[in-house]
Parts: sequence; C-alpha cells; structure tokens
Amino acid sequence: MGLNGDLALTPSAVLGQRESLATSLGDAGALPLPRVGERERAALQSGILTTTVEKLVNWGRYSSLWPALYGLACCAIEMMGTGAARFDMARFGCEVFRASPRQADVMIVSGRVSQKMAPVLRQIYDQMPEPKWVISMGACASSGGMFNNYAIIQGVDKVVPVDVFLPGCPPRPEALLDAVVKLQQKIAGSHLTSWRG
Amino acid sequence: MSVLPPIGPPGRDAASEQYDHGRELLGVAPEMDAIDLVQLDDQTMELNMGPQHPSTHGVLRLVLDLDGEVVRGCRPDIGFLHTGFEKDFERHNYQQCIPYTDRMDYLSPLSNNLGFSLAAERLLGVEVPPRGQYLRVIMCELARIASHLIWYGTSALDLGATTPFVYAWREREKILDINELVSGVRMHTSFIRVGGLMADVPAEFYGMVEEVVKTFPHRIDEYETLITGNPIFRERTQGLGVLSPEDAINYGVTGPTLRGSGVPYDLRKAQPYSSYDQFDFDVPIGRRGDIYDRYLVRMREMRESLRIIDQAMAGLPEGPVNSTDRKVALPPRNEINTSMESLIRHFKLVTEGFRVPTGTVYQAVESPRGELGFLLVSDGSNRPYRCKVRAPSFSNLSALPHMAKGELLPDLVAVIGSIDIVLGDVDR
Amino acid sequence: MTDLEESSGPHPAAGTRALNLLRRELPDAVLADEESFGEVTIRVGRDHLVRVARLLRDHDEARYDLPLFVTAVDWPDREPDVPRFDVVYQLRSMQHNDVIRLVVQVPGDDPRVPTLEGVFAGMDWHEREAYDLIGIQFEGHHDLRRILLPDDWEGHPLRKDYASFGEPIAFTHNIEWALPAQERPPEMPGSSR
Repeated sequence: MGLNGDLALTPSAVLGQRESLATSLGDAGALPLPRVGERERAALQSGILTTTVEKLVNWGRYSSLWPALYGLACCAIEMMGTGAARFDMARFGCEVFRASPRQADVMIVSGRVSQKMAPVLRQIYDQMPEPKWVISMGACASSGGMFNNYAIIQGVDKVVPVDVFLPGCPPRPEALLDAVVKLQQKIAGSHLTSWRG
Repeated sequence: MSVLPPIGPPGRDAASEQYDHGRELLGVAPEMDAIDLVQLDDQTMELNMGPQHPSTHGVLRLVLDLDGEVVRGCRPDIGFLHTGFEKDFERHNYQQCIPYTDRMDYLSPLSNNLGFSLAAERLLGVEVPPRGQYLRVIMCELARIASHLIWYGTSALDLGATTPFVYAWREREKILDINELVSGVRMHTSFIRVGGLMADVPAEFYGMVEEVVKTFPHRIDEYETLITGNPIFRERTQGLGVLSPEDAINYGVTGPTLRGSGVPYDLRKAQPYSSYDQFDFDVPIGRRGDIYDRYLVRMREMRESLRIIDQAMAGLPEGPVNSTDRKVALPPRNEINTSMESLIRHFKLVTEGFRVPTGTVYQAVESPRGELGFLLVSDGSNRPYRCKVRAPSFSNLSALPHMAKGELLPDLVAVIGSIDIVLGDVDR
Repeated sequence: MTDLEESSGPHPAAGTRALNLLRRELPDAVLADEESFGEVTIRVGRDHLVRVARLLRDHDEARYDLPLFVTAVDWPDREPDVPRFDVVYQLRSMQHNDVIRLVVQVPGDDPRVPTLEGVFAGMDWHEREAYDLIGIQFEGHHDLRRILLPDDWEGHPLRKDYASFGEPIAFTHNIEWALPAQERPPEMPGSSR
C-alpha cells in the first residue's frame, strides 16, 4: 500500500473505499468523510502524514463552516435551537453565527422569503466571500412551502444557488445537523480547480 | 418621510448634558476641559439598521437619524416577512386555516390557533367541553412560557449576556418535548382546532407537565439571579425606553408592554375565554414603563403561567376533548362502518369542511405579545370570506419611534428587545 | 353592563354603551346598527367619522381609547346597490371593558375615508396597511404609502379581483403546467407574478 507511513488518504486507498461505500451510502459523487482508523494511527506514530492539497483544503473548509445570521421566520427559531445547548451545532464546526456576511461561509436561509426580502437575500449572498455555500432550510425556503401566493418567493433557488435543500416545517434540529453533515460531505468531494464552474 | 422633531439650537443640548454628567462622575472640574461640546451643525446621519441584523429580532429594517450616538428619529420599514396570510385564509376552509395560523406568531403558535378557533366556534355556536378548554389553557400557558423564554434569551443576548440564551433554550426544549408528545410536532403543532383539540393527551403528558411545574420556578429563580440584580443590566435598562400609559394607549399597545407602563389590562381577566375565569392568578403591572419594568412583568408572568398550569392540571376534568356537535365533529369511527350517513358526513367534513353561518365576529385572546384579535367575516360558505388578524406586534412596533427618540443607539437595541416583537406577527 | 340578553359564546353583548351614547349625542351619525353574536356594529357616515371617533374616545361614559385596527372587507357583488367596501374600525374601552365596531361603506370607484390619525396615533400604521392591501384612500394622512408590500407593487392583494397564485403545481393530470411559460395552455388559473 505504498511507502511505509503513508496515510490511508492516498488516492488508491480512497478509491477502494469509495467503491465499497458508495453502494451503502447512496450519495451521488460525495466522498465519505475521512476517518482515522488503525492504519492511520500507526502512520501517525511516524509523525508524517501525506495527503493532497485538495483534501486538506476541503477538510479545513468543511470543518469550520461559519453560518451567516440569516434567520427569517420560524425556521430561525429551530436554527437557534440547533445552536443552543441540546443539539449544539458548534460540534460540527459551526462555532459562531457571524452577523456580517463578509465573515461567513455558509448562508442557512431559514424561513420564508418574501418579495420584498429577495433583493436583500441576493445582496447578502453577494457580499459573502467565496467559497460560500447555501443551505435552504425548511419547506418555505426550498419551494415556497405552504404559501403558494403572491407574496412569497417559491424557492430561494430562484434567487441564489442552493447546495443543500432541507425539507420540514420547521425541520428538526437533528435534520439541520444532517443537512450540515451532507454539506460537509459535498465539500469533501468538491474539487479545488473546478469550484463553481 | 415622517416628521422628525427639530434639532435643538446650537449650543447645549441633551448630548452635552450627558457629557456633563460623565464629567461629574469622573470628578473632572469644568475648567479642566479641553473640549467644549457645542453643536457644530444640525445635520443628522442616516443609518440603515438593515433587515439582516442580529438585534432586530427578525427582518425588521430601521432607518435611523443619528446625531452622534443619539437617535433623533427612527423610521421602521416593515413588510420583509409579508406572507399574505389573510389572502390564504380566503382560499382554504376553516380547518385548513389552522396550520396557517400557527405560522404567524411563530413563537407561541398555540395562541393563534386558539384565537381563530374561538372566533369560528362563536360563529358556529359550538361549545368545547370542559376538558378540552382546560387542556387548551394548559397548552397556551406552556406556549406563553416558551415565548417568554425566547424573549428572555434573545433580549439578554442583545445586551451582551450570552448565558441566559443557553439556559432559556434548555427550558424551552422541555416544553417542545411536551408539544411533540401531544401532537408530534415541536413548534407548529396545530393542536387547537375548531371544535376542540387534535386529540386527547397521552398518559405521559401528566408526568411531563408535573415536572415542568415543579422545576421551572427554580429555573426562573436562576434567571433572575443572573440578571435582575446585575448592576450592568440595571444601568442599561432602568429609565430607558419609557412609554407613558397615555402614549401606550394612544398607539394601541397591548400586552406586557402596556402593563409595564402601568395599565392593568389583561384579556384573560377582563374578557375571559376558554375557562380562564376559573383560575386564580395575578397580572403583574409595572410602574415606570421602562425596559426594566417590562422585563419584570414578563418574568412574573412566567411564574403566574405556572400557577395556572398547576391549577388546571389539578382540576382537569374527565370527558371528551372535542365538541360532539355534528356540524364540526367527525363521526365516531365505528359508526362510519355501519351508517352510510356517517360515512358521507365524514367525507364531506374532511374534503369540503363545515359551513359556517353568515356573520362577523371579533375574537381577541391574550397572546404573550398582547391582544391578538381575529375579525372573522363569514358568508355562509366553508371558507372565511375575510379574516383580519389584529396582530399585537404591529401596534407595539408603531410605538417604537416614540420610545426611541433621544435614546442612544445601544439603548435602542435594548428597547426593541423589550417590546418583544415577532415579525411574522407584524407582517403577516 | 348591557340590557341585552347573553348570547352564546364566551363574551356578553359588546358595544351597546357606544350605541346608546351615539344615539343620544350624534343621532344623525348613526346610519344603521346591528347586533349579532353578542356584538354591536354601528354603520357610520363617512363625514361623521372623525366626530364619532372623538366622542367615543373622550366621553366619560365611553372612553374607547385603545385603537385596535382599521381594515376593509371587499364585497364586489354588492355594487351598485350597496357600496363595495366596508371599512371596519374596532375600538376598545379598557375602562368599561368593552369593544365597538364601526363600519363606513365606501364605493369602489371612490374609496376615500377621512383619516383617524389625529384621534388615535395607532391608526397611522393600520391605515397604511389598509391602503396597501385593499386600496382605501385615507384623506389627511400625513404619509399614505405602502407598508407591507414593496413600494413599486401594483395592485391591492386583498381585493377579490386579485388572483393570488404563486406557482402552478404540476401533477400527472395537469403536467403541462410544468412547461415553460411560453408553452403553457392559456386558460391556466392564476398568474405567477
């Protein structure tokens, strides 16, 4: 399996893992998050890890996704509940909700977006520096929800590109954590050179 | 543009007086000053406190006219969460409207359910049995506590205290667990429906509510220990954001914001609904109408809600929870198998909904924010012809420009927190 | 408090005090009154509205000083016999624990009502909302512009001739609704904005 001391994150090892886990995960194209197992622990004794720049950068990006404060309506309350003590989003890297979009990585659009709010939504999205992702939390953000009327945008993907759609009205905190984990998996599988292109 | 008060003449003004006060505290003699504060010009800076802001409690936009740090004028710009609820009410039948009412004041959804259901029940002439009424009271008071907990956590967070936020959510999770037990949903339960409730409560309900009633008073003591006597909190809240009772009434302010200004009006006492008159509880009133008084009123209201829940649990009668009136109630399941008429009745009630007699009624309930009223106009069909929702936060927020004049910008944040608005209510 | 019998429901008859006072003091202002479901509704003429409101607010026997809301109900089929809009005001008297509903009927082509902003400061925003959603013009309001919808919105959504439909939902029986806008059948209900 390569030189002594190689981490199991070498491409050939990962490819083998991917083939076997792809069927069980069912995720299209998303790599499983790297795990530290026995081989890795043995390799760590030597104090040298090898990996690719892409994996390292992706790992850094998904491990500390700071959400932009974008709570609009009821889903925002569940988002606050996810950040509170029982569910604790900080365990998954979402340590702080940054009020300023300039310092945020992910925008969790939680709540219904009205016609008046849509330009604001786009502006906040544009103000976020790349790389940035969007989780559309809840039925109203994903598709307009129960409000199929004149006032609500029927899905924020009409305004911003969305990475993860999360159904629910409102989704449980565990569901939001699952969405964050899925986003992390997506980031783990993304490529540096072809980001958003 | 709304009319702003004129800026004072050049020279000494309120900002200079604060500067004098600061100098007194520090013991600096007037002649030692190098800076003499005179007004150089009378222009104000327009600052946008945008819809995306951590302290506006939702998507509220405030355009502030600032003179340094002092707020000379505040123009709220609302409508960023306008959802068109009232139009949606006209397109759905009455039971289908109930989930819509959940999402208006989303911090205490059960109060909205209750208001709409009571209005429809008045038009229908349907009476909910005592057990249903008591359970409605218990669930509404739990929702009141949950809503006040969010207010407590977020408004303390606005002032810089981060611990109350986590404590408040710890308690709120217990109430959400009760919600989930009775209805399956944590927040938007749609538990209170026209004619009664969704279903009777399971056996574990009693134990969970008992635990809440037993442990919450100590928790509220904890919260009070954290900030009520805290000198920083007092400095930031006492004497600020004062709303006189005459102004409050003139603006249509209701709820704890009104009671903090000293006006003793609570709909649960004045116009009791759903058997509230059978419970013994007090209504806390403030004295000075500042932020601190409104804070004390809400903390005390949480304790009074626990009293009500305790009494309701002790006196909870047996019996059905839903009205048996054939107009609204679904027929019993065993009858559907034997009687063709019951089967047709069930089908019609589920697909078409019941028809409500023609008329107009205004039903108000005391939500945690104030008087939540429903003007329900029916034309005899199975859908409301017009349902106007009188949202308490809408009127409470209209008093904000008045309360904010002359305050410093950080105090404005404290004032917004103390009015306890929900933008879903304001914008509907 | 009232001399009418209790009706079904949790509230006793409300607003009788206001009706009696108006009949005594401003009898020509009361065009009609109705009592149903335990509540009194007084129909007032457009020109008497401000005087009526001021009397109800200030008179010791009434003291209806808490403005609850103003809104309008659209009855387009009533025209031309009866005016189209019912502008509804609701006032509460905390001192006497009472509510009263005032209705002013205005025609669809001339939906003007004098403003009550000078009487109750709280009516400011409520009148803006009624203008925004239904299109009632309040004369004398210092700043009548849209409050809930964007400033450049056209139309008044709560009128009955305003179709509210965000997006057509396609099922198997109407799959053509999922087509792009140019290819959809012309008789599809509602129009997305």
